[in-house]
Amino acid sequence: MGAITLQRLLLDSKGLERCPFPIPTGWFFVDYSDTLKPGELRNVHLFDQEWVLFRTEGGQVGLSDPYCPHLGAHLGHGGKVVGENLRCPFHHWEYDTAGFCKQIPYAKVMPPVTKKQAILRTLPMTEKYGLIWAWFDPQCEAPSWQLPHIPEMEDAGYACTRRGTWPVNTAIQEIAENGVDFAHLKFLHGAPGIPPAVVNFEKHIIDINMASGYIVGRGYGPGLNVFQFTQEGISSTMISYTQPITAERSQMNMSFRYKDYPEGSKELHISKKLVDHMIGAAEGEESAGFESVDFVVWNHKKYRPNPLLCDGDGPILQYRKWFKQFYTAADTDTLAKV
Amino acid sequence: MAEVRVTGRDGSERRLEASNGIALMDTLRDAGTGVEGTCGGACACGTCHVYVAQNWVDKLPPKSEDEQMMLEAIGELVEVRSTSRLSCQIQISDTLAGLALEIGPVP
Ligand code: FES
Ligand code: FES
Ligand SMILES: [Fe+2]
Repeated sequence: MGAITLQRLLLDSKGLERCPFPIPTGWFFVDYSDTLKPGELRNVHLFDQEWVLFRTEGGQVGLSDPYCPHLGAHLGHGGKVVGENLRCPFHHWEYDTAGFCKQIPYAKVMPPVTKKQAILRTLPMTEKYGLIWAWFDPQCEAPSWQLPHIPEMEDAGYACTRRGTWPVNTAIQEIAENGVDFAHLKFLHGAPGIPPAVVNFEKHIIDINMASGYIVGRGYGPGLNVFQFTQEGISSTMISYTQPITAERSQMNMSFRYKDYPEGSKELHISKKLVDHMIGAAEGEESAGFESVDFVVWNHKKYRPNPLLCDGDGPILQYRKWFKQFYTAADTDTLAKV
Repeated sequence: MAEVRVTGRDGSERRLEASNGIALMDTLRDAGTGVEGTCGGACACGTCHVYVAQNWVDKLPPKSEDEQMMLEAIGELVEVRSTSRLSCQIQISDTLAGLALEIGPVP
């Protein structure tokens, strides 16, 4: 990059963008499994466009582009789940969750292309941890990795139904950059010091270990992060699954889990306090969780592709380089801005 | 420009002037030969089915996989022969002057 030029430092600001990022590629949370009954269908806004979310009578979940490949009717306005298919209201063509046209009620011959390939764009889907997930890739490529096993969400012996959702006016790359911005923990959150931290990047996974094990986090692509907070040998887990709604708008969602400790125990008390601390202010803690301090920064900042960093800053540039892998379809001009 | 000799489904004989660079289907449709060309050349409807004269089979560009599949699909409902083509897949050029064909049956 070379030395920062004065011209750039002083005048860059006028040309900065808030969110120059494409929608990243990865697994993303769509909704909670129990909110979508067999036969149900609704429109959702995700990945900078509208989609039709549906569940077949047999229980398969589908997320489809809204516009019918036949004559362009919106499948989410008057469309219906019929058996294992989504039926268009206009001429009753039917599509399965993989986007294959399974039925044209009046054609004597099904167009051969319908046998060969999907004609409607649908996203690869899975259900895990009680959540519905979609694989978004701007070029419709198949998933290149799978969601991990999360004991706190999937195994017996864990409790807590607490979860939250927060809209934020920025992109996922900006939100997650906080995870490697250790200096802000002292100055924005009011932590007693800048915590020592180790970060590792490996394929689609990022590992963060802060304050010698106080916070241990692992990110799986742009759409899933699992953070464990540990105090006095007791851990609580934050499972965070943020959705890209538009290029400049995201929805943060989190579930909080800890071991199924007996009511009234000291362990339960610590577990609960840790969860309080993840979100906002907590008893006996000087520092603030993300809710009270991060939003004001996220909602107003702009992205500096060429920041001036100093010693003591976290591995911001390594993080950005790692994150670029999720902009799978970006051209070089776009990549230069992110 | 190519002159094409067309036998209708009723057996009538016609000569049509076909313009270069467009699909044979367009000429047949616009001349009211009974070819509909509903899908516009996407190998999805089969309504542009023709039988070309035996001596023209090898002079035409070969069938694509999509054309082959559509012909097989209509073959379950109507008679498809070794001379069957989808006229939407044949582009007119001077080399086709004198092409003789018969409008085929459709589903
Ligand atoms: S527009 Fe959907 S079936 Fe015709
Ligand atoms: S026009 Fe439809 S197959 Fe030729
Ligand atoms: Fe923060």
